[in-house]
Amino acid sequence: MDTLRICLLLISILTCFFVLRKIRKSQMRIEDSIFWILLSGGLIIISIFPQIPAFFSRILGFISPSNFIFIAIIFLLILKVFMMSIHLSQLENKLHSLAQKYAVDHAKSKEK
Amino acid sequence: MKTLILIPAYNEAENIERVVDHLEADYPQYDYIVINDGSKDATAEICRRRGFNLLDLPVNLGLAGAFQTGMRYAYLHGYDCAVQFDGDGQHNPQFIADMIEAMESKEADIVIGSRFVTGKKPASLRMFGNNLIQFAIKLTTGKTIKDPTSGMRMFNRKMIARFATNINHGPEPDTVSYLIRCGAKVCEVQAEMNERIAGESYLNATKAIQYMMRMCMSIIFIQWFRKKEA
Repeated sequence: MDTLRICLLLISILTCFFVLRKIRKSQMRIEDSIFWILLSGGLIIISIFPQIPAFFSRILGFISPSNFIFIAIIFLLILKVFMMSIHLSQLENKLHSLAQKYAVDHAKSKEK
Repeated sequence: MKTLILIPAYNEAENIERVVDHLEADYPQYDYIVINDGSKDATAEICRRRGFNLLDLPVNLGLAGAFQTGMRYAYLHGYDCAVQFDGDGQHNPQFIADMIEAMESKEADIVIGSRFVTGKKPASLRMFGNNLIQFAIKLTTGKTIKDPTSGMRMFNRKMIARFATNINHGPEPDTVSYLIRCGAKVCEVQAEMNERIAGESYLNATKAIQYMMRMCMSIIFIQWFRKKEA
């Protein structure tokens, strides 16, 4: 086992524990935690079975499996950031309509 | 027992009048409350025009959020039990009496209006999902829930307090499995359900598969790690 793999394995196990502990304390919604569990589970799997990233890096033409892992993780994170950005916009929108409804209702009740 | 029927409604303009009229006319002994989950159609308007008991959410919170709103209302008004009831007319209020009876005699915390206590499960794709969730619950809690996806559930005062204030207590099978692990007593009562008459079901094929995946993931991987709180 080379150093990179050991690092990946250790870090992925730690991530998994951290995510699970936060869920245990009910600090995260289940819908949101599924992504992180899958991600940390996936990291553990590829660090135990390096043949999987090696296979993909070979058929996709990467120089080394670690390059493939980097690009795959960056891509995943970009997707995640994008999804979060959508989510944030929706939240902002909801906050606006809540505040506006409050203001309108407040004005209405004063008129009476 | 002071009973409240919670009716979360999202775009149920075609159904809500029929459902609530039926409750008001034939079951005046139960209180009910419609929770309009920021519907885009005339659901809230109809409820206001007809003078129905209504909690009107200005934005869409999703089923879990709407249900929690109802639970909070039930908690603050001191109800002894609350029934989760669909706004589309799927559920029959005639079975609520049996559920209350079971809750009292068996001292259950949660009573599920189940299609398969005496009835047989038909073999269909939807029931395969039902079986899968049943298996996941059996695996993690050791208890057999014959109809985990039934949306007709009754909760006692203790459960109302939990649902009203806690995160991750959606009205779904994964919460039921978590609550069983926390020591809640769950029992099932036979109840027939109707096909929906009007409007579109929330669950199409893709969403149904996503739902099953999420429930199984949640029951097997996540509820397992959640801290038990009695």
